[in-house]
Amino acid sequence: MKNNMNGKKYWRSLDEINQTPEFEQFLKNEFSEGTFDVPNGMSRRKFLSIMGASIALAGLASCRRPVEKIIPYAIAPENIVPGTPKYYSTNIPFGSESYGVIVENHEGRPTKLEGNPNHPSTLGKSNAWLQASILDMYDPDRAQSVLHNGYESKLENFATEWKSLDKDFKPSQGDGLAVFSETLNSPTYLRLKQDFLSKYPKAKWVTWDPVSDEMIHDGIRLATGRDYDPVYHYEKAKVVVSLDADFLNTETHSIRHTVDFMQGRRVNDENDSMNRLYVVENSLSVTGGIADHRYRLSHGKIGAFAAALAVELKSMGLSIPGVSELSDYKNHSFNRKWINALANDLIQNRKQSLVVAGRSQSANVHSLVFAINYALKNRGTTVEYFSSDKNNRSDTKDLRSLVVDMKNGDISTLVIFGGNPAYNTPVDLHFNEAVNKVKHTIHISSHVNETSKKSEWSIHKAHPLESWGDTITPDGTKGITQPQIQPLFGGISFIELLSSLIVADETISSGYDLTQETWKTIFGSDFTSNWRTVLHDGVYKNQLTKPANPFLSNTAMSKVFKQNSIVSSEGYEIVFKTSSSLFDGRFSNNGWLQETPDPITKLSWDNAALLSHSTAKELGVNNRDIISLKKNGYSVELPVWIMPGHADQSISVELGYGRTSSGRVGNGVGENTYALRELNALWRSDNVKISKTSKTTVLACTQDHHGLDTEKLAADAIQKRLPAIVRESTLEDYKENPNFVNEHDSAIPLVSMWDEVNYDSGPQWGMTIDLNVCTGCNACSVSCQGENNIPIVGKDQVEKGREMSWIRLDRYYSGDMDNPDMVIQPVNCQHCEMAPCEQVCPVSATTHSEDGLNSMTYNRCVGTRYCANNCPYKVRRFNFHNFTKDLPEIVQMVQNPDVTVRFRGVMEKCTFCVQRITQAKITANNEGRSIQDGEVSTACQQSCPSDAIIFGDITDPDSQISALRKQNRMYALLGEINTQPRVTYLAKLRNPNPDLKPGELS
Amino acid sequence: MAQLFPKWTNKLPTILLAGLIVSVTILVFSFWYWGSPKYTDVGYTPTQPVQYSHKFHVGELKLDCRYCHTGVENTAIAGVPPTQTCMNCHTVIKKDSLSIAKVINSWNTNQPIEWVRVHKSPDFVYFDHSAHVKVGVGCNTCHGDVASMEVISQEESLSMAWCLECHKNPEMHLRPVDQITNTQWTPPDDQLAYGSWIVKELNITPPLDCSGCHR
Repeated sequence: MKNNMNGKKYWRSLDEINQTPEFEQFLKNEFSEGTFDVPNGMSRRKFLSIMGASIALAGLASCRRPVEKIIPYAIAPENIVPGTPKYYSTNIPFGSESYGVIVENHEGRPTKLEGNPNHPSTLGKSNAWLQASILDMYDPDRAQSVLHNGYESKLENFATEWKSLDKDFKPSQGDGLAVFSETLNSPTYLRLKQDFLSKYPKAKWVTWDPVSDEMIHDGIRLATGRDYDPVYHYEKAKVVVSLDADFLNTETHSIRHTVDFMQGRRVNDENDSMNRLYVVENSLSVTGGIADHRYRLSHGKIGAFAAALAVELKSMGLSIPGVSELSDYKNHSFNRKWINALANDLIQNRKQSLVVAGRSQSANVHSLVFAINYALKNRGTTVEYFSSDKNNRSDTKDLRSLVVDMKNGDISTLVIFGGNPAYNTPVDLHFNEAVNKVKHTIHISSHVNETSKKSEWSIHKAHPLESWGDTITPDGTKGITQPQIQPLFGGISFIELLSSLIVADETISSGYDLTQETWKTIFGSDFTSNWRTVLHDGVYKNQLTKPANPFLSNTAMSKVFKQNSIVSSEGYEIVFKTSSSLFDGRFSNNGWLQETPDPITKLSWDNAALLSHSTAKELGVNNRDIISLKKNGYSVELPVWIMPGHADQSISVELGYGRTSSGRVGNGVGENTYALRELNALWRSDNVKISKTSKTTVLACTQDHHGLDTEKLAADAIQKRLPAIVRESTLEDYKENPNFVNEHDSAIPLVSMWDEVNYDSGPQWGMTIDLNVCTGCNACSVSCQGENNIPIVGKDQVEKGREMSWIRLDRYYSGDMDNPDMVIQPVNCQHCEMAPCEQVCPVSATTHSEDGLNSMTYNRCVGTRYCANNCPYKVRRFNFHNFTKDLPEIVQMVQNPDVTVRFRGVMEKCTFCVQRITQAKITANNEGRSIQDGEVSTACQQSCPSDAIIFGDITDPDSQISALRKQNRMYALLGEINTQPRVTYLAKLRNPNPDLKPGELS
Repeated sequence: MAQLFPKWTNKLPTILLAGLIVSVTILVFSFWYWGSPKYTDVGYTPTQPVQYSHKFHVGELKLDCRYCHTGVENTAIAGVPPTQTCMNCHTVIKKDSLSIAKVINSWNTNQPIEWVRVHKSPDFVYFDHSAHVKVGVGCNTCHGDVASMEVISQEESLSMAWCLECHKNPEMHLRPVDQITNTQWTPPDDQLAYGSWIVKELNITPPLDCSGCHR
């Protein structure tokens, strides 16, 4: 630990604070113990099963030159030029949202997704889920055919069976027929749903998702009596209060929210202003890490906190309808100064503030939040409401009545569109028993999952990149989903199945025709040219919905608060969290996401019971001990992970793990916490019985891997001169002392041991990373994995510190162990001008290029690993195995053909996306011009929703990066060792309320 | 006591040492000579599925290279033409000839013709045709005098040393861009002067860094 300039102590983990042998181990050795072991039989086998190995019969490579074929087209398709990627726009539905994307295609093979700059859902940016969803399409474990009672069948057979079922349902108007569907906001799907319901008026249609915004919608309905979708405008808010809402990461519309929020956060110089973020939450989240003030509070008390805030606001003269019913909360036990300062800040920023609550908070909290925003006149500025149809949204009451009907034998045929109710419906509904009473179950799904196995018919679903369809967002932005490739395993889309059910004449409808039919009504006239324009742009913004002005009635609110007092929890509470990797479990078989460490805990390949230090003491447990959680006869065993900043008496568990029928990657990873999730406690379970077991487990946590070491680098005397690795300040201090960043830089002139090379003729590539806006959301990391063919290594390799990510996100805590501040620092290869790695390579496999890249030549590398040992940033990664070669062919199709796939025994690292630079250079040279600023973007930069990463030519005085490098917050990481890195950082700032001094926070 | 070893064994260490030196030398030489692309690759003339004659089409009929290899000026890959390109002419010319039966068959069945690759750079090399063609590296600089080849054969080694020879001194290998496909082009007497001028004029800086070709 080091004392920082502002007196802060930084630490990475509890292991570091306690200086455990494990931590020392990772600090001292680039390659941890066991690294040199040949994998034993067991782990090798496990590894192979993860990689889905198909071991090629290698034999002796022929000494002769192998005969290689060139296979041109017989008839060349128009517009395809071999070797040149094509880009098409499309829309990918994702739960209740949809992402507008641009797909990179190589000879008809999609390899990478990027946000569509024209589409308001992404604005050209992305997140980890969007980046990884391309890998799902190439998943060899996808459902590959129709299954009838588990045996391979054909779509035609199903269509014939449906025709005979339809004969019964037609006269009975669909009595006994039910549909369970995941949320899909598609105009065509919703149109067909109406057709279906008018053909079978007595049929039941239930929409349900395990992770949904149902509570938000319910809360707004309580307050207004009508149904609305809220749309937030964080860019207009100067003060944001988040009540358990991780809006920058796991909540709905996180990409857009990050883009918007960071507009108010970015600082160019000391005269700029910054928005202010208050977060109240139980478990440290990405949003909580960015916060200027974070209040640690158990989940069950957040409602009471909201009520106390409302009462405080009222006492300051703000009239909030119905709030007089809450006067009991005047006597709250929360930090009064904190609430007072917060309320004051909100009152000062009427119309420019925003209060949001997370999807896991109760409807009452959401109605109160609506009332507060209403009273602060934020409606219409920072939050808009759009009318919505509640029938198309997740509804738990509907689900319950469906399962009751199923149990009573009232349902004879159940059609399930997507989802995975057998795995993720509330445990006390006993869906799996109820479904046995249904005579015919039909499930369309991308994977043969837990539900498919319970179904009579399992139909393989085509990926959104393989099928036609459309999407719509709350504000009416529409888009068309166009296929990029023929379905790899056959398969049909939701709309094709639904339409076939309606037609019931043994044919399968065409998604293309169905989508066109919908859009003919949308366009009205001039179909062909409009259709082509929308396909090209990927978005149709001509018929946007106008925001409604929902009215808040005093009496309604009084009624709400009178009837439903906001209760606090008692005893140990369990809080169910949306997984930042697997979402609700749908990405369970996605190796990229499984291996990407959680932004905060840095755990990969597992979920754990997150709890605070004092709760762990109370329970007598430590990291990796297994505890058993029991409630109402349901129980789950989970390993403990102590999380600084977690609320006491509260345990957070992630959903989506412990799948049994996910595929070779996801099966048996982590524990299934849905097994504890009850109907009345979808997000929080109170009074849970916790007992310690005698078992422990191994967790793959990357937080101490590749730790930058200031302590051991030099002798104690030098240590004092070593400045902090992460530099931060507050906005106030920054205004007073704009050059705070450089204060701790060494005054001793830097002398080089080597001849310095002059890099002043352009282009010279460089990168800046703005720590002030980086949230740690992992979008860059997954994007890099896709762009640069970075392999998945599996849990046991990650434990050994062999994860291959080229850009890692270091997470530092500072301050109080119970409620620390958090800073995220992305570290990739720093492309040092005086690179220590280059000086020790015995074979010159890593060298410097004229344009300032530290390049790695794989075909020269002999794997001595000297370079990695000599790298002060620990950014070099070694291929201990043939991670890619053993992949099934279908997974290899996702590889980027512009990047070499690395072999065992080769070092690799960030290249600044040299393939993109070279391509831009060739294009510019061919056109007889120089490369323009912004023409080259690295994969991490392109996907970063915060625009924290900027790349460009540092010799071009007009480039964006040159401007950033002139900022006074700029510093070089470990600059005092004179590596002269090309990656530089902009120091982090916080904007605390002047009324709240540090230390006065809870 | 009788001697254990006969007298001639005294010479054995010397013979062994000399033998070792000779065999190591031979071994190194063998790898250096027979293992180099100059030996293994130059002259590689595989039999192609269709006996397409560049000598006839280019040499006699004067077809331009770019008629078939369409990508060469604008993309990394020059490209082997689709059957369609052959059929532009062969729907009328020699359509019943036995020698193009495979082409006709490919056209009728929509099955591609599987040509055997002659010029190959390793997978970790990212060669871009357009970057070379646009600055005046002629086709026959790397591919030899294709116009006189009945069957395509590799004339240059395509080894890294061979690439770098030109990357270091491009002046001697550049020609006016409109002469790219002229297989009869020979360097003029003042080639060095022209080369130096065009290098300056077009700001030609062939990369010598690893990252120029390896990614």
